[in-house]
Amino acid sequence: MSSMLLTLLIFSPLLSVLILLFVPSDDEKTLKMTGVLGALLPLIAAVTAFTAFDTAESGVQLEEVYQWITYEVFQANGELNYSIQYHIGADGLSMILILLTAFIAFLASIASFSIKEKLKSFYILFFILELGMLGVFSAQNLFLFFVFFELTLVPMFFLIGRYGYLNREKAAWSFLIYNGIGSAILLIAFVALFMKSGSMAFDQLKAVFALPEADLKEMYLTENFRMGILIAILAAFAVKLPVVPLHTWMLRVHAEAHPAIVMIHSGILLKIGAYGMIRFGLGIFPEEFKSLAGVIAVLGVVNLLYGAFLALSQSDMKKVLAYSSVSHMGIVLIGLAALNEYGIQGAVFQTVSHGLISALLFFLVGVLYNRRGSSQLHDFGGLASQMPVAAGLLLAGGLASLGLPGMSGFISEFMAFLGLFEVMPVTAAVGTIGLILTAVYVLRAVLGVTFGRVKREGTVYGADMTAAERFPAFMLLAAIIIIGCYPALLSGLLGATLESIKLGLGG
Amino acid sequence: MLQNAWLIPLFPLLSFIVLTAFRRHTGRLAAVIGLAATGASLLMALMVFAEQWQGNSFKAEITWLEIGDKIITMGYEVNPLNALMLVIVTLVSFLVHLYSKGYMEGDSRISVFYAYLGLFTFAMLGLVLSPNLLQVYIFWELVGLGSFLLIGYYYFKPEAKAAAKKAFIMTRIGDVGLFIGIILLFWQTGSFEYDEIFKAVANQEISQTMITLTALLVFVGAIGKSGQLPLHTWLPDAMEGPTPVSALIHAATMVAAGVYLVASAFPLFEASQTALTTVAAVGGATAIFAASIGLMQKDIKRVLAYSTVSQLGYMMLALGSAGYTAGIFHLTTHAFFKALLFLAAGSVIHAVHTQNIEEMGGLWKKLRLTGPLFLIGALAISGFPLLSGFFSKDEILAAVYADGRYGLFVLALIAAFMTSFYMFRLFFMVFSGQPRSKQDGVHESGWTMTLPMIVLGVLAVVAGYVNTPWFGTFLNDYLAQGPVELAHEHHGPLWIPIAATTVSLLGILLAYLMYAKKSLSRDWLSRSFPSVSDIIYNKWFVDEAYEATFIKGTKAASCGGTLIDRYIVEGAAEGTVSAVQLLAKSGNKVQDGKVQTYGTVVILGLAVIFAVVALTGGYFS
Repeated sequence: MSSMLLTLLIFSPLLSVLILLFVPSDDEKTLKMTGVLGALLPLIAAVTAFTAFDTAESGVQLEEVYQWITYEVFQANGELNYSIQYHIGADGLSMILILLTAFIAFLASIASFSIKEKLKSFYILFFILELGMLGVFSAQNLFLFFVFFELTLVPMFFLIGRYGYLNREKAAWSFLIYNGIGSAILLIAFVALFMKSGSMAFDQLKAVFALPEADLKEMYLTENFRMGILIAILAAFAVKLPVVPLHTWMLRVHAEAHPAIVMIHSGILLKIGAYGMIRFGLGIFPEEFKSLAGVIAVLGVVNLLYGAFLALSQSDMKKVLAYSSVSHMGIVLIGLAALNEYGIQGAVFQTVSHGLISALLFFLVGVLYNRRGSSQLHDFGGLASQMPVAAGLLLAGGLASLGLPGMSGFISEFMAFLGLFEVMPVTAAVGTIGLILTAVYVLRAVLGVTFGRVKREGTVYGADMTAAERFPAFMLLAAIIIIGCYPALLSGLLGATLESIKLGLGG
Repeated sequence: MLQNAWLIPLFPLLSFIVLTAFRRHTGRLAAVIGLAATGASLLMALMVFAEQWQGNSFKAEITWLEIGDKIITMGYEVNPLNALMLVIVTLVSFLVHLYSKGYMEGDSRISVFYAYLGLFTFAMLGLVLSPNLLQVYIFWELVGLGSFLLIGYYYFKPEAKAAAKKAFIMTRIGDVGLFIGIILLFWQTGSFEYDEIFKAVANQEISQTMITLTALLVFVGAIGKSGQLPLHTWLPDAMEGPTPVSALIHAATMVAAGVYLVASAFPLFEASQTALTTVAAVGGATAIFAASIGLMQKDIKRVLAYSTVSQLGYMMLALGSAGYTAGIFHLTTHAFFKALLFLAAGSVIHAVHTQNIEEMGGLWKKLRLTGPLFLIGALAISGFPLLSGFFSKDEILAAVYADGRYGLFVLALIAAFMTSFYMFRLFFMVFSGQPRSKQDGVHESGWTMTLPMIVLGVLAVVAGYVNTPWFGTFLNDYLAQGPVELAHEHHGPLWIPIAATTVSLLGILLAYLMYAKKSLSRDWLSRSFPSVSDIIYNKWFVDEAYEATFIKGTKAASCGGTLIDRYIVEGAAEGTVSAVQLLAKSGNKVQDGKVQTYGTVVILGLAVIFAVVALTGGYFS
């Protein structure tokens, strides 16, 4: 039974889809209950999987391998057997992201209560999306990864396009086109890898590319080929992360989609970009990644500063947060470019930490939008007097975002910069300007909303946050603070995985 | 007792948590909870200090974070310097808690106020107990948070909002310097621990350039927190916070954290002459610069704020001149007399409901306790003989002189003159003469407010005797027990205290002539040098200069970025889309269903193929 744990976890959202099919679409109460309980199920499964996970051991655990597709190809030098397996498993990195996915999806299912129409199809799409995300982080070969990866795109397209604000349809198309192109590039890279190396499994690919140069030449895996594939993979995930200048689609999504969807999108889907870069870039092509480190560091600093500068002059809170995401993803690149344990661990921490923080902030903006019908900064002010809890949470989220120690954002920023300062001190020093700018734009937006007086006489924001609104916010805040105060919780889980990446980098 | 020192910051943290969680239910209990917590901390701090006095030190750490095989620890340490700081912080915090009970009476958000005070006290104590630089940085930021929250306590006031934001951002600029400094030190020494870093410095494992660079970066952090030039502008604005907060955070404790940081990292600074000179020069320049602004301010709290900046400059000057004991000594005495001055100012404001000294006057008879206490504070800060400030200032001047920094020595003397002048200008304008506005129902504050002032008043008088050339240099001997040999006693020539006293008395005399006796016109100086006084009145236009350069520059960059994002990045994407559409349309045209066209294309294509085959000799190779 325990050997099936991961499969059960990945496909657990399907159960809720099945149940939802039998719930009448106008029975809002049952729909909501199914939605929340359905999202709770994968969370329980994820926690169970985590307890079965041995943090001291390196490598992939909870593995399941089944033969899936086999076919033979006749070539001049004999016949080649290509096989594709259903192969899932989790190492520390996967485990962390699976937990994050289940956690944020659970909270997003509560945040979805504000959706009034088409709730049934919303939750159905939502669970298919969750299935895809859980699968992406558990897949152990390229084929399976790609299938799950695509599986996240389709429901997401509909979720953006059907539930959201005024320009949601344009945002959905934008999302589809950019990510479609990314997927296409990824597919080409994967197919090329498969054809040349004859394998799709991560561990086998890793082993193949760790062979001595002479052997690789014999297999026609030349340096140019490897570099080309790596660049293709990085480009594909750069769309997802996103890396400037491929970020405009993500701004639209963040501004137009429903807050619950943005929580998922910003909290998890963007993280697939970081995950892909670590898993395929660093994991399979460590040597080639090393030679690109300078470029990646510069891209990281550009992301960090570009996002921060632009966040400074946005008038819409959602845009501020969207650019802030661009900026924070720069930290991931900075950490990766350092190519030491400090940096990589910082990058992973940043994916988790930003997942929590941006989920919290987007959720709060959604809460405010529900009351005020706007997320424009000039419509707000003096929130603290009418909604002290919301104002306090917003301030806390903002402080987390600007990297206040004691909260998770600080740990990741600190480690990423610590890593980069070892190898590229000047680039890193330029990047630290971002730390100041972050404080400037966060305080501008947050204080603009919460402090001061109500902008227009007689504005009534309405009642402070309800219990259903407080729960997700406080859960997220608690996670942010726990990681920030005692980061060893996460670093213990990552230690073994980092060790294996470090081995690939040659110490 | 020492091993329980970690409990000291814990009590205020508990007070913060309880008051935040139950803020609706605590009401008047809030003050009691806050007082109980800080009272417990104060008692423990005194016990720790007593034990430390006998020469015991203690250090304990736990694993906080593992990165690869590197283990980063958090813990606490008790050494002579921080045991002293523990007492100062808990004492002033306790007194301010008590004072606030009276001062903030009737405020509907009193629980929030006490919660923030608890948070700040926790962070400050955590900072003091930190055994490594990373932990220092963590609490360094958290004290900044406490300060930010309390400056913005009256969140609905636009000025408070702006001041809070400014304080956070200005100090963050300094913090980034510290951040880089810590990281560089880590890569040089492989550790964040003070001990390890000092060991590496002593064994010359770090290059001289690196020592200078890291020391200067750490100092940048101190500049931000301690309001030194050129990052001083936030501190006067921070006076938007409630007055007890100004006394606690922006006079006695947090702003002194920069001085404390330089003192804790002193072996690093000592290893670089350049770093020391920079510290001394920045300190000296700040001391006279801020004092000059203090001469013309009209807001009672702002005068005190500039005075704080100036006195912090003094402390930096002392440290930069290798006057370790002198710097710490002045930090201690300043904590008492400046907190006293702020609390007394708060008592005045509480009575007359204005902060403008032009509207005060004649309060000596009405505030029978506040007046004399303010006078004690003013005399102490002016270095009046036998009061605490006299000894500590003398120690600083002796250190600067002994270090051979004669230029800075003269600056310090001039600053001392300005200090006594602006303090007594303040004193005479507030307390002497006739009321310059309608003052109704002015009465002395209640015991919760006067008692803390009396305690501080006593300390402002006697605190100097911990380190005098006559009765013994207890403080110096005590600090000398530290792990590294830092404390040096400077015995300057006798003429230094005489000169300092003369200068300070002259300042008082001048203020008396201008503002009390009025035998000199109030504007005889400003009339003689109109342009100079204009510059000083406008605080040397520093804020305006920053507005015109950094703020405008950032805004311009931001707007420019927005344009790039909208037109170039987005434009390129749109362009690609239209290009694809164009291609598709032209493709459409080719397939228009006209058989004649297709035929022509086929024939032409065939012709081209033949031509190519003929030219290449029949083979594609």
